[in-house]
Amino acid sequence: MTTGPPADKNGNETGKKGRFPSLAPVHSLLAGWTGLALWLLLLLLLALYPYTGVSSLALLVGSQIFVLVTLASNWNLIGGMTGYVDFGHAVFFGVGAYIMAILVTGAPLLISPQWGFWQALPASGAAAALFALLIGLPTLRLKGPYFSIAMLGTLVAMREIVRVSRPITGGGIGLNLPPVLNRIGDYYLMLAIMGLVVSLIWWIQRSEFGQSLIAIREDEVGAEMRGINTTLHKIAAFMIAAFFTGVVGGFWAWQNTFIDPDVVFIETRTVEMVMMSMLGGLGTVWGPPLGAVAIYLLQNLLWSNLFELHLLALGLLLVLIVLFMPEGILGTLGDRSSTSLGRLLARFGRNR
Amino acid sequence: MDQLSQALVSGLLLGGFYAIMVLGFSVIWGVMGVINLAHGEFLMIGAYLAWGLFRFFGIDPFASLALILPLMFLVGYLLQITLINRIVERPHLMTLLVTFGVSIALANLAKIVFTSDPRNVAVAYSGSFQFAGVTFPIVKTIIFAAALLIMAGLHLFLQRSRLGKSIRAAAQNKTAARIVGVDINRVYAITAGICIALTAAAGAMLSPTQAIFPFMGPPFTLKAVTITALGGLGRIPGALMGGLVLGVTEIFVATYVAGIGTNLGVATSFILLVLILVVRPQGLMGGLRPVDAEAD
Repeated sequence: MTTGPPADKNGNETGKKGRFPSLAPVHSLLAGWTGLALWLLLLLLLALYPYTGVSSLALLVGSQIFVLVTLASNWNLIGGMTGYVDFGHAVFFGVGAYIMAILVTGAPLLISPQWGFWQALPASGAAAALFALLIGLPTLRLKGPYFSIAMLGTLVAMREIVRVSRPITGGGIGLNLPPVLNRIGDYYLMLAIMGLVVSLIWWIQRSEFGQSLIAIREDEVGAEMRGINTTLHKIAAFMIAAFFTGVVGGFWAWQNTFIDPDVVFIETRTVEMVMMSMLGGLGTVWGPPLGAVAIYLLQNLLWSNLFELHLLALGLLLVLIVLFMPEGILGTLGDRSSTSLGRLLARFGRNR
Repeated sequence: MDQLSQALVSGLLLGGFYAIMVLGFSVIWGVMGVINLAHGEFLMIGAYLAWGLFRFFGIDPFASLALILPLMFLVGYLLQITLINRIVERPHLMTLLVTFGVSIALANLAKIVFTSDPRNVAVAYSGSFQFAGVTFPIVKTIIFAAALLIMAGLHLFLQRSRLGKSIRAAAQNKTAARIVGVDINRVYAITAGICIALTAAAGAMLSPTQAIFPFMGPPFTLKAVTITALGGLGRIPGALMGGLVLGVTEIFVATYVAGIGTNLGVATSFILLVLILVVRPQGLMGGLRPVDAEAD
């Protein structure tokens, strides 16, 4: 093998995906108002869904899928659009989950009375966003793989820190939240959060803010020289992604009624976010939701009988996606340049 | 004073283990530019192999190296020619994701095969001896000596042997190495074989000193990154220096931070890493490759 041009350039130049009808017009349509209209229509249908007399299991499944879609879209904001591939994003999920649990159980050290769910939920997000600010200031200065590794380190370190902070977090034993079974409420709450997050991503992608993020991904030095305050933009994107990940973490803790360090600060959750985004199409608005649904269906339809093998299969699937479908469903079916993954990858630099 | 010298000795012994643990990671990164996120999992596999050989055949963990080294060399060689060689030319993100996937798959495979019960290797010589008022755990002292021996061996191999020179040539300038007739794919496969074997050997040697469980890997991967950032890529003296610094730091935190210090190893390592990356992104000894320079 000779050192040729990067693989992504090859793909773009030869356009060997020509055997598929180009979906480029569909893409540009979906990125615009049509996409948002279709999305709102889908949300409306999902909102009406419980009225068709479904079981509470179906509502639980629905809220779980909404959680995955929200997480994938959030990860995509920092990992796909800004190009900072975050291998520790589950840390914000964990922070949100712990803040929720600590507030609603009035855990030992807090003098204040127990908080209600509705006060604790935004607090979960705010805590995660604050954490993102503190951790992002040093780590977002790092480039490429160093950022990924620093975030992975943040996740692993937070798990240990939470484990040893027993008086506040219950240590390895974890925290039990008051069990409140409200499947229909959970369903609508997550539907609302998901609707908000995905619409926000849609808006960001069209806004000047989003274009600046993409400029940072493509060429950070160039963006800086064009007068974009790259630090501010990166931190803002990071905090937005962390805020909603924290909210979802808080919701998840409430729904699951039990958390411990190993359940919420788990690498697998980050892997899922990365995989869902990559499977659907990194850096696109509709790819990550699509990927999230696809992964959920795969997990449940194919692997429900092989529970033990599920995570093994998840790891292998990640390898297969990277090897054979690096641009995701949208990228593989459609116009290659639409996902810009190639350019994101180029930003990561090539190995010698 | 006693506490200080004890902490220093414990830290150096731990650092010796870290140095041998990090070698495989650091050489793979230095030679082929692959950040192997499955590093800790290969360590875990080595520890499980040592446990299995000890439990079912009564083979001492240090004697079992004779079996584990060739076996894991083969595993690393095959992994490289089937998987990593396909993506080694592709961007960093790809290799990160693939090795991340491999690490998840291996850890969960281990969970299925060995269950998540912690395993122990209780060797007869697990005690310690006193020297100059300082306690030396026997196993850790043997690990330290073995680490120095293995590092000296690897150093000689890389510097003197023809194959070692090809590996260094491939690391320095792949194109030029190709021109002078180095078969890069083969050299990479052999490098991966050596590194995976060394990592598994470190895991096997670790097995008498701590519990073995499927998810023990990620903290070691993180520490490997920290040590590499401290000591530089693919440099054996750097690995030793970085390992010793991290080992001593961890033990000092454990000794002097009351109560929770012993559990803060990972956090210490992480804070060190972020500090180094932020203050000196090229690594303490200038060994880390600047990402931007790789783009050409």
